[in-house]
Amino acid sequence: MTVLGGIGFAAPWLLLGLAALPILWLLLRAVPPAPIRRRFPGVALLLGLSDEESVSDRSPWWLLLLRMLAVAAMIVGLAGPVLNPQTRPAGSGPLLILLDASWAGAASWGDKIELLESQLTEAARASRPVAVLSLTAPEPLNFRGADIWRSRLAGLTPQPWQPTGGQVDAALAALADAGKRFDTHWLSDGLDFPQRTDLIAALQARGDLRVFQTGAAVLGLSPATFEDGAVQLTVHRSQNLAAREVTVLAQGRDPGGTARTLATVPARFAAGELEAQAALSLPSELRARITRFEIGGQRSAGGTALVDDGLRRREVALIAGRADREGLELLSPLHFLEQALAPNADLLTGALEDLVPAKPDVIVLADVATLSPGEAAALGEWVEAGGMLLRFAGPRLAASDVSRADEDPLMPVRLRAGGRSVGGAMSWGAPKTLAPFADDSPFAGLAIPQDVTVSAQVMAQPDPTLSERVIAELDDGTPLVTRKRIGQGQVVLFHITANAEWSSLPLSGLFVEMLERLAVSSSSTTPDAADLKGTTWRPVQVMDGFGSLSDAGALPGVAGADLADAPLGPDLRPGLYASEERQLARNVLEADISLAPADWPADVPVEGLSVAPERPLGGALLALALILLAADVIAALALSGRLGPMRRAAVVLVALLLMPQPGLAQENDNFAVRATSELVLAHVLTGNKQLDEVANAGLMGLSDTLFFRTSVEPAPPIGVNIESDELAFFPMLYWPITPEQPTPSAAAYAKLNDYLRSGGLILFDTRDANVAGFGAASPNGRKLQDLAAPLDIPPLEPLPPDHVLTRAFYLLQDFPGRYSGRDIWVEAAPPDAQQIEGMPFRNLNDNVTPVVIGGNDWASAWAIDADGRPLLPVGRGYAGERQRELAGRFGVNLVMHVLTGNYKSDQVHVPALLDRLGQ
Amino acid sequence: MTPPPTLRERAEGEAGRLPPLLARAEHLAGTVLLGEHGRRRAGLGDDFWQYRPAQIGDSRRMIDHRRSARGDQQFVREREWQIAQSVMLWVDQGASMRFASTETLPTKADRARLLGLALAILLLRGGERVGLSGIGLPPRRGQVQIARLAQALAVDAPQDYATPDHRAMIPHAQAVFISDFLGDIEELRVALTKAADRSVRGVVLQVLDPAEESFPFQGRTIFESVGGTLHHETLKAGDLRARYLDRLARRKDELAQLTRVTGWQMGLHHTGDSAQSALLWLYRALDRGFA
Repeated sequence: MTVLGGIGFAAPWLLLGLAALPILWLLLRAVPPAPIRRRFPGVALLLGLSDEESVSDRSPWWLLLLRMLAVAAMIVGLAGPVLNPQTRPAGSGPLLILLDASWAGAASWGDKIELLESQLTEAARASRPVAVLSLTAPEPLNFRGADIWRSRLAGLTPQPWQPTGGQVDAALAALADAGKRFDTHWLSDGLDFPQRTDLIAALQARGDLRVFQTGAAVLGLSPATFEDGAVQLTVHRSQNLAAREVTVLAQGRDPGGTARTLATVPARFAAGELEAQAALSLPSELRARITRFEIGGQRSAGGTALVDDGLRRREVALIAGRADREGLELLSPLHFLEQALAPNADLLTGALEDLVPAKPDVIVLADVATLSPGEAAALGEWVEAGGMLLRFAGPRLAASDVSRADEDPLMPVRLRAGGRSVGGAMSWGAPKTLAPFADDSPFAGLAIPQDVTVSAQVMAQPDPTLSERVIAELDDGTPLVTRKRIGQGQVVLFHITANAEWSSLPLSGLFVEMLERLAVSSSSTTPDAADLKGTTWRPVQVMDGFGSLSDAGALPGVAGADLADAPLGPDLRPGLYASEERQLARNVLEADISLAPADWPADVPVEGLSVAPERPLGGALLALALILLAADVIAALALSGRLGPMRRAAVVLVALLLMPQPGLAQENDNFAVRATSELVLAHVLTGNKQLDEVANAGLMGLSDTLFFRTSVEPAPPIGVNIESDELAFFPMLYWPITPEQPTPSAAAYAKLNDYLRSGGLILFDTRDANVAGFGAASPNGRKLQDLAAPLDIPPLEPLPPDHVLTRAFYLLQDFPGRYSGRDIWVEAAPPDAQQIEGMPFRNLNDNVTPVVIGGNDWASAWAIDADGRPLLPVGRGYAGERQRELAGRFGVNLVMHVLTGNYKSDQVHVPALLDRLGQ
Repeated sequence: MTPPPTLRERAEGEAGRLPPLLARAEHLAGTVLLGEHGRRRAGLGDDFWQYRPAQIGDSRRMIDHRRSARGDQQFVREREWQIAQSVMLWVDQGASMRFASTETLPTKADRARLLGLALAILLLRGGERVGLSGIGLPPRRGQVQIARLAQALAVDAPQDYATPDHRAMIPHAQAVFISDFLGDIEELRVALTKAADRSVRGVVLQVLDPAEESFPFQGRTIFESVGGTLHHETLKAGDLRARYLDRLARRKDELAQLTRVTGWQMGLHHTGDSAQSALLWLYRALDRGFA
């Protein structure tokens, strides 16, 4: 294949034909076009005239150009041009395609798969057996046909970890087992990992090694920390490139539960820097909603940082039984709690009844004995819903009768009267120390300092349930901390005071750790292995290589120490882990990591990822030649004047091609012209044929009435389909309600709301003479409520006697239709509308009321037949005719109101004007 | 002998062609209001002209008693002197007339027949006698003559360029020649000279297609007459245009010269223009001849 200017030609010699084009040009110019025969009576006058030149008219230059182009396109097309020709020499023998398949390649995974596919295609063309090996999930090599691998491409996904030592070992073993020579294409993700050089050496020993990797830097996001009142984010990159800005997105759920981006913050890499910092300052409410941070515009596990308790500052409400005594702060029951919690929790203080509605995460009751029934009920409800009630004992609790005979719902155990005191000046025995925590206790694994002693406590009554509620005890086996679960929440009782009066526990670091374990406070630093020793963590959600979370399912639990510092792999997936009440996120990147780029030995060729697929151009060029020739036929016909009969067909053909739906557009235009060339009253088509006919006849009658009596001269009414027709053309819509009509679509409601907001009026008619009381008593009334619920309708009121509808044209106080029902409803007057002294009317709404709701079946009263006679009977005798007349007058008033707005309202000024005129 | 079905078909075809032409001609004629050609002097006729006092010599029968009874004087009722003129039509039925440059335009023959028949209707209504030149249809009065004329006008002539029939010209009559006059002009010269000799006055109306005036042709072309008898081939039709137009103008000049010498009037009508204006012109021109 010969390559000319980036385009390869399968048969380049054919291009010599292009040299013949100038000759063709001369030939085409020399040959005159065929003569045209014309009938022309004036030929008698032409006889004897001879041509001045012997050369005939030439074909026009553009026609020649058209033909030359067609011929040139044909020549080039037949020469077999190929865009992006693959000119690399194809190898032979088995081929190993090696993938890192780690999170670092997730961002460019699509390109990788495309490259893999093109390489498989190439291998299939050369019928090379292929093996595909993912380093993050190594398997024994299996050389098979490329087509088999191609069908498996969709199953290849990046894993959320880098190849571990064990996996590289497995890969090396697999290479060693292969037992023959093969070439290798390594699709690298661009990051270094241990033992990579061994792998390179092993591959080079087997055959040629070619590396494909993207030139772009790999981006990673460290776990977010909370410092200086802001969330600190660190973005890493693998290569030292120019200055660059990336956006970090904070993802979470909004109060409605919808996942959305809660905040974005730009992080700017200075030129030459590998890290970029960003600080995101958010209100704690919003911060607590964040579930993860992402680097905008790329999906990878390394670019995702899950958020755990570390970022979540709990709200802790502190309530003490005693009023603080001034000056004795160290004796305050809350002092040590405040000290322990203040660094990483938001503290609330105040009255209990004020704090419970604020729904804090934890409420601490320090030596609070009795609660009022109301408080107890509120607290109980809050605990049921997942709150944590932390109680401390104290002299008051010891002295009270709370949970003495019967277990108080808000106490974990029953208490014995008085408590006990050991090791004091007036008692025998030494102060008690703490027993080691049991394995099933949330405090398991915490080291107990020897200097923690307890000298007084309240005692639990031995109950059958006591042993399971104890989570910490003294060395003599008496319960120190007890816990009871209530609903989704729990009550925890420390049998000692929260200050140092009864024990030295609040003075020790153990106290803080115990509070952390109870999830009362959250640790501000990432816990290390020692902190997590002895705990077991259950995976809740795990990440895949793209950084999307999925349910952990039946994955086994992980030991705390492993969770802290074991490398990620199939046994420890990045994700969200839970133990007791605490949640811990294991992210792909640690806080102090740097992304090392992979560097390759000089003898390994490294290529980019992007592949430009071969694109044969011959077909397109031949098609172009055919199109040009077809155009030439038409042009030649047009020149010789023989296009005549075909012109219409051609025009129709072109029109068909260019305008897929000319009929529809025409129809819409007709509708618009009909609706706008005159004023037109419109009714909503309900789908009930009879009802629609009556509505149409009614509006016809109203239009006639208007025509005869007023200067409003409407054209015949139109039935409007609110789904498909434009509503903006109509000043008002008459909407008869029938229970079986379909509910409009969301788009139709949007259109109706637009219509109402932009000054349209809808006259709802339930036609049952009943709904005016807004009762849902009739099916029509219920249907109206259904239909109107999504509409943007202002507050309504029964039509007040001074509404402008009562005097827009006729003076009316009744608005009968076929029924003489009660009130009709219109937009409520503004609350400050007051009748001014001496004015006949209040100054009511400025605008036209968007809806008029009634049930008097006006259309039936207005309806006339083709001869102009009333269609339906109204009432009896003269009174009935009077009612029909009033119905017509109501219609006139309504249309006048729609068209003139509050014009008649301005008559409030008439007395003043008359005054001024001196009448 | 022609088989009856064929004859009947042809007859029906011919009959079918008549009513539209008649209807259009009637319609066109209806746009021109007229009366009979009064001589504007007292004489024999149907219409009232004036009352004049009875003079000596008037017979008593001539006295108009209705008028005279109003006073003492006796009046004689005079009628306007009316005489009927004979008008001879010649509408070119040759093949060259059956030409229209575009679909939207009528053929010259169509327009010429329409004008001729409409004029005939007008004249017949006005009480004149109308017939065709030559011996085919001598001038007569009355509605029946319209139908006869329509029938005679609907016949196509086979030859390419027809010549006016100047036989049997009635002295002192009027004549109307409608044609494109693109053929041999010598026949027309003979006809007009002969007419002038018999003091026949008349009108020559030249009907041309707009394409014949503009010659909008380009490129290599073979021009054929409609009947196919004449050919002219050119390599560059565009170059002929100026010379063609020159010849056309000379032909018009010749016509004008001829009519001036013989005391006729000449008009030019294009099929692209309104037929009504041409009809009005024709009628006026004839009216001048009557006066």
